Amino acid sequence: MPNIITCYKWVVDEADIKVEGNGALNFERAGRKISEYDRNAIEAAVQIVETAGGSVTAVSLGGPEVKNPAKDGLSRGPDKAILALDPRFAEADGLTTALGLARAIGSAAGPFDLILCGEGSGDVYGQQVGPRLAELLGIPSITFVNKLTVTATGVVAERKLEDGVEVVEADFPVLVTVLPDLNKPRIPGLKQVMGAAKKPVVVLDAAALGLTEAELGARAEARGVKAASSNRKQVKAESVAALAEAIAAALR
Amino acid sequence: MFTLTEEQELIRNTAREFAAQYCAPIAAEVDDEARWPEESVAAMAELGLMGVPYPDKYGGAGADYLSYTVAVEEISRVCASTGVILSAHVSLACWPIYHFGTEEQKLKYLPDMASGAKLGAFCLTEAGAGTDAGSQTTTAVLDGDSYILNGSKVFITNGDKADVFIVFAMTDKSKGTKGISAFIVEKAFPGVAVGKHERKMGIRGAHTTEILLRDVRVPAANRLGKEGEGFKVAMATLDGGRVGIAAQALGIAQAALDESIKWAKERQQFGKPIAANQGLQFMIADMATQVQAARHLVYHAASLKDEGKPYSKEASMAKLFAAETAMQQAIKAVQIHGGYGYIKGTTAERLMRDAKITEIYEGTSEVQRMVIAATCLK
Repeated sequence: MPNIITCYKWVVDEADIKVEGNGALNFERAGRKISEYDRNAIEAAVQIVETAGGSVTAVSLGGPEVKNPAKDGLSRGPDKAILALDPRFAEADGLTTALGLARAIGSAAGPFDLILCGEGSGDVYGQQVGPRLAELLGIPSITFVNKLTVTATGVVAERKLEDGVEVVEADFPVLVTVLPDLNKPRIPGLKQVMGAAKKPVVVLDAAALGLTEAELGARAEARGVKAASSNRKQVKAESVAALAEAIAAALR
Repeated sequence: MFTLTEEQELIRNTAREFAAQYCAPIAAEVDDEARWPEESVAAMAELGLMGVPYPDKYGGAGADYLSYTVAVEEISRVCASTGVILSAHVSLACWPIYHFGTEEQKLKYLPDMASGAKLGAFCLTEAGAGTDAGSQTTTAVLDGDSYILNGSKVFITNGDKADVFIVFAMTDKSKGTKGISAFIVEKAFPGVAVGKHERKMGIRGAHTTEILLRDVRVPAANRLGKEGEGFKVAMATLDGGRVGIAAQALGIAQAALDESIKWAKERQQFGKPIAANQGLQFMIADMATQVQAARHLVYHAASLKDEGKPYSKEASMAKLFAAETAMQQAIKAVQIHGGYGYIKGTTAERLMRDAKITEIYEGTSEVQRMVIAATCLK
């Protein structure tokens, strides 16, 4: 009966992002949602517990844009939620996020066997948080997992790699980051939505997590975000060499 | 004015995800073949959508009427047939039992209906009693501890699929509308039969049939409300039903806007997207404004109902405005699509056919104006 922790990030709904004339992105009217791959992680956790028993604790970390993602997460099946919420998490990078999650898990989650995370988040897709979290907790991590079986004492995971599939076994406790092929997240039913409010939620800020200013400090700063744009050009030339030169000139 | 609560937003997400996953892939086929969207109805039951605004005690989700309204809107945005199947079940069949039923009736019928195990339908209209619902010819004659019902009902949404019918019949013809009573009739009662299936212009996936009642013995315990209160039951039910249909119309109107924006950006003429033309931009601006205005009226009517305040006038306003908005925006969507909008299989074409019924059923636009005027001029 594994005790599972599943981590999720509250990200901008990309469908609501408007592109301005100068290519800048306008987030003003953008809603928030649980990052797609993290939904696969939650679904995997819930499915495991539905067959093997145990419990699922959802953990999320966010800045001022995150009001309270607990109900959305809990409506997907976890038994309780731990939220690390602090305005100073606005610029949290992979390391700060992993630190916050590790402290939150350490202080409020109790003993666990398995941590499930999405392979990367829907906004930055840094693929940092899962492995960093495992490192901070001193447990092994398995990434790129698209098939997962839980045994009495650990997991058997299939990693989808560029040149093949690798099957890995690990004993509990272990952290697994999942790919979307793993499952199809269920649509939360209305009873689950209405029941989410009755499940326990622990909210912790940066101070409660014992994070120092140095740990909270942004290591990178986003100077601007622009939409990708593409242009089509037709380049004609007499010879291959002239064509190469013309293409190079067009790319400059 | 309307900031939805977190639960209401999550219910919108659930309805939206359901519509995208279940309704979108089959909406065109359901329309074309007048096919009952069985898989969507089953999924609505599974997700708890069939009993959104009813308490847990009666098998419902325990959410409010505004949540239900938002759900009907989102589903109708993708498939108006599925939207009305839900609306007829929740507003017209479950609600009168919930509101007028005895505790025994509620406990007997609502859990199965709210869970979607049993589907409901509302049998008021007759061939000669449409807007003039008081001219019922279906009769109910007391015989011992049961009533014997005889008559035919027409244009019954969910007719051939329903297990439970709310049936209106004359218990005393001499009293006019005060001689009408309401009954809960099960499909399994001997003498209940499904008659003609109507072939409709729109909402073709929602089945509309005759319901025939031949010497149907209905236990007196299944009478809904007091004898002679049927007209009151019908009118109160239709007030709520109008909010449901207004939400359906709102969904259709939103879809017409969505389709128009998408097409206007994609369609290139004279070397630029047609959206670059100010004439078209103004059409889109008007459409968006109308849809938003309709949304405010619809949500407002639903909120009044949730607050237990009088909402009959507001329900009529919402239904009138949303229905006319749906029709007008659907016509514009076809116009924006040009020749493609006139071709079977385009969404705009289906929306235009689906929109029309919202100006007709559960009270025509003319009836809504009568209700509104009567309240204003009192």
